[in-house]
Amino acid sequence: MARGGATRARDRFYALCVAPSLAVLAVITLAPAIYLLVTSFTPLDLTRPETAWNFARPFENYRQMPADSRLMNSLWVQAKLSFWTVTLQLLIGFGFALLLNMRSRFLEALRTVFLIPMVLPPIVVAIIWKVLYTPDISPLHWGTTLLGFTVPALITHPDWALTAIIIADTWQWFPFTMLMTLAALQMMPQEMVDAAKVDGASAWQMTWHVTLPFLKGVLLVAGLFRLIDSIKAFPLIFILTEGGPGSVTEVTNYYSFLQAFNFSFLGYSSAITVVMLAATVLMSWAIIRLVGWGQHGD
Amino acid sequence: MATNTALARERRFIQILAVVLAALVMAPFLWLLQMSFKTNAQVFQFPPPLIFTPTLENYEALWTSGFRQSFVNSLVVAGAATIAPMLLGVPAAYALSRWQARIAGTFSLWILVSRMAPPIAFTIPYFLAYRHLELLDTRTGLVIIYMTFNLSLVIWMMRPFFDQLPRALEEAAWIDGATTAQGFFRIILPLSAPGLAATAILCFLFAWNDFFFALILTRTEAMTAPVAVVNFMNYEGWEWGRIAAGGTMVMLPVLLFSLLVRKYLVHGLTGGAVKG
Amino acid sequence: MSEPRTGRRHLLLGASALGLGALAAPPVLGQARPFAGQTLNGAAFQSTFFEYLRAFFPEFEERTGAKLNFNTQAFPVYNQRTDLELSTRGSALDVINVTFIYSGRWIGAGWLTNLSEFVNDRNRTDPAWDAADFVSGAQSAMQDARGNTYGFAWEAGAMLMAASRADLIDQAGKAMPTTFDELIAACDAVQGKENMSAFVADQLHHWNWIPYLMGHGGKVFRDPPGNLTPELATPQAIRAAGWYAELLSKYGPSGVLSFSDDQAMRTQIAGRANFRTQAITWLVPLAKHADSTVKNTVRYALMPAGPQGNFPGSNSHGLGIPVGSRRKELAWEFIKWALSKEMLNRIVETRGYPSVCRRSVITGEAFKQAMTLNGQDVASLYLQVLELGGRSGYMKYRTVPVFPQVGDTINRGIARIATRQQDAQASMRQAQQDAIQVLQRAGVTLDAN
Repeated sequence: MARGGATRARDRFYALCVAPSLAVLAVITLAPAIYLLVTSFTPLDLTRPETAWNFARPFENYRQMPADSRLMNSLWVQAKLSFWTVTLQLLIGFGFALLLNMRSRFLEALRTVFLIPMVLPPIVVAIIWKVLYTPDISPLHWGTTLLGFTVPALITHPDWALTAIIIADTWQWFPFTMLMTLAALQMMPQEMVDAAKVDGASAWQMTWHVTLPFLKGVLLVAGLFRLIDSIKAFPLIFILTEGGPGSVTEVTNYYSFLQAFNFSFLGYSSAITVVMLAATVLMSWAIIRLVGWGQHGD
Repeated sequence: MATNTALARERRFIQILAVVLAALVMAPFLWLLQMSFKTNAQVFQFPPPLIFTPTLENYEALWTSGFRQSFVNSLVVAGAATIAPMLLGVPAAYALSRWQARIAGTFSLWILVSRMAPPIAFTIPYFLAYRHLELLDTRTGLVIIYMTFNLSLVIWMMRPFFDQLPRALEEAAWIDGATTAQGFFRIILPLSAPGLAATAILCFLFAWNDFFFALILTRTEAMTAPVAVVNFMNYEGWEWGRIAAGGTMVMLPVLLFSLLVRKYLVHGLTGGAVKG
Repeated sequence: MSEPRTGRRHLLLGASALGLGALAAPPVLGQARPFAGQTLNGAAFQSTFFEYLRAFFPEFEERTGAKLNFNTQAFPVYNQRTDLELSTRGSALDVINVTFIYSGRWIGAGWLTNLSEFVNDRNRTDPAWDAADFVSGAQSAMQDARGNTYGFAWEAGAMLMAASRADLIDQAGKAMPTTFDELIAACDAVQGKENMSAFVADQLHHWNWIPYLMGHGGKVFRDPPGNLTPELATPQAIRAAGWYAELLSKYGPSGVLSFSDDQAMRTQIAGRANFRTQAITWLVPLAKHADSTVKNTVRYALMPAGPQGNFPGSNSHGLGIPVGSRRKELAWEFIKWALSKEMLNRIVETRGYPSVCRRSVITGEAFKQAMTLNGQDVASLYLQVLELGGRSGYMKYRTVPVFPQVGDTINRGIARIATRQQDAQASMRQAQQDAIQVLQRAGVTLDAN
């Protein structure tokens, strides 16, 4: 009886701890999400007040989307950007992790240096690359001219603009995959390494047959995180190309931003955003399934 | 013997390679840093002067302009957006870690999505609602929207920390007659100080680094430093030196703090998916 | 603390009751400092005008006791942020620039304060301020159909052509071009001379390109403002787009497609690009700016004409007050002060600002003197363009509420051609299609074909 009372008191304390957070989260995240969904069923345009709360044709925005060639183009640009940034970040991050995974105080100190791009404010990263991509003041352009090449201004060149953004994004985020890989590598059981060495595996075989299978899960999760983040790409595009030249670097997120906050088509933009949000939910769900999150007893 | 020298040679080779790569990775960042100490004429000078008298005029010009106010705004907003989620989220994380009720699993998706959602998904409804709540261009408005990701961050950073602390600790206290609350405040919290510090710093970083929300939701009074940098980026004829100085000032606090918590970075960035 | 103030207010009332009104009011106001402790938040796009005006800000602050917080940003950034702020009817800004291409949108949506109420109120505005002195052509974009005024123009932009290094053109045996063909020939003749690009423009094609479009016989809308069916894929438009994209890609400096207006100006000032066709405000600094390396070689001319005529762009930008501002009285004080005859004359005299909109200033001797640039009478060129624009109303396309969105599709269309992603025909067809979509989303009725 006394024990049951103590348990009940404990449950009450726990509930008291959780309730405020859940209430606040509900107000600041669930309510806006519902508002977004509702807005997406209206043609809301701030220059025309009569469009607010107008549900005459609730699916009009969604109906327009497939016919919007700029939106379709932006999805394709997004796919290219996501594919290349995730791939490059995984490859480079993995490579650097293997290189730095050595018991050496010197290398451990050096690791910190590699972290810097990742923690910089995204807007500063964008400024750094704006400098590097502006021919007048770029050491990159000066260097290549010395070597006898003329490199076009990358961010205004249709074949290079997206690549320029991929390079900048990769520079900023490969440390993330590198760090995750390093953390996992350090948990790799020594017996596995030793057993492989006894079998006379070369460094290459070791990587391919032992290390990589061991890291598969971590790389997948890292890739998913980067994939979700790549949908959010904004500052780089805002500062470097504004979606141009033409629409070469106009990703969906940026297009949605233009529709909402340059043209005040908030209804249409909400519909696009709802689709992006759905994609995020799907991918987050995948992560949770992979990591087995939220389950007790680890 | 022979293999030993070969091994040592390989070691040296790897170290040199690592240094070269580190230099390459650092170069873009260092280039911006040195630009901030140059005059506009020096910025355009090629080949770049290896030795030049660094000038502080870019920083002085910034500090006497409206940028100072933005910098203060950033500090205040990021500070508040750290404290509030910590106060709310830490007890919640503790309860989720200890509670037998299987409430945690139900909410994991929700909380992760709040962390990962594209900013525009929150920006549109907040923008529409703030018009009527008079929260546009206010620091309060920014703090509230930063809670959307920082509160989730706190919960998912702190829960594994609490998981690691053995239950026996509180149970011993309970037997001595302490209430659940006392057990939490007197025993558990002091033990999780490093985790609390790391989480707080990460909250600060995420709020500080935000650009998109501040771009849409602030104008003049509450403008934060990242937005201010972009504003004068397009102002007074592309004074690159000053842009570089602004960028340097925005990244300075971030660099200092993140070096302090580098052990917990991965953990924080993945919301606890991987233990760093 | 409050008592002396009341005392002054009585004094002030007494003074105006005595009919000392007009001339005596400013100094009395000055003593009262009626706006002490208030901050006026202003915003505009970057322009030499505000750079010059800024030097006089302390006088305004001294006189009113208010603090001025005036921010300027690049043209597109300014428009985006201000449009967003206005759409909320918020109070973050008190004085703003009423941008030409947004004037129809902002006035139509009811986002600006009706200034006629201020002008017609003798307690707020001394008749000697003379609102009728503003050139009517420049003011027309600032008015609604009922004749109410929502802004007062500080700039009447008139598009001219400037060559930063006319000496190189002379050396090549060419004259300043007067037609499109001659422009191409002149560019050919000077391209690469002394490491200079022959031509430079900023990325706002929906402003820079339109005179070339019209010169080729094309137009943006079928019959603005009544019929807004876009005409971007007509043979004339396609020809004009291809022609202009070629001009940019062949004769422009590396990276020209991302240039802001200011960047393009800096390129000319530094002697890295020769020709530019733009509003006069961006061209005068070639002769006046402290950093200019081309002061002795710059030459001005009218825009070159196309086969179908000459349509140099003209526009105007004004100062207005957002409807949500909480400091409208102070804002109006600022507008009156900034655009008073005295202030404009001072700016013309001390800095040679070229784009004034007060008739009394334009016709004055100081203006003529200031506009004699490198020995050339640019004032007369300026007036010629303003007349051209006023006569046929070909600038009407620009002030329709949906122009910002359509302008964006034009920008992207031209950029696609200049970067050879698409040929002119395909790109302009897509621009046309995008424009139709965006117009429909804005609720505009279009012709069936």
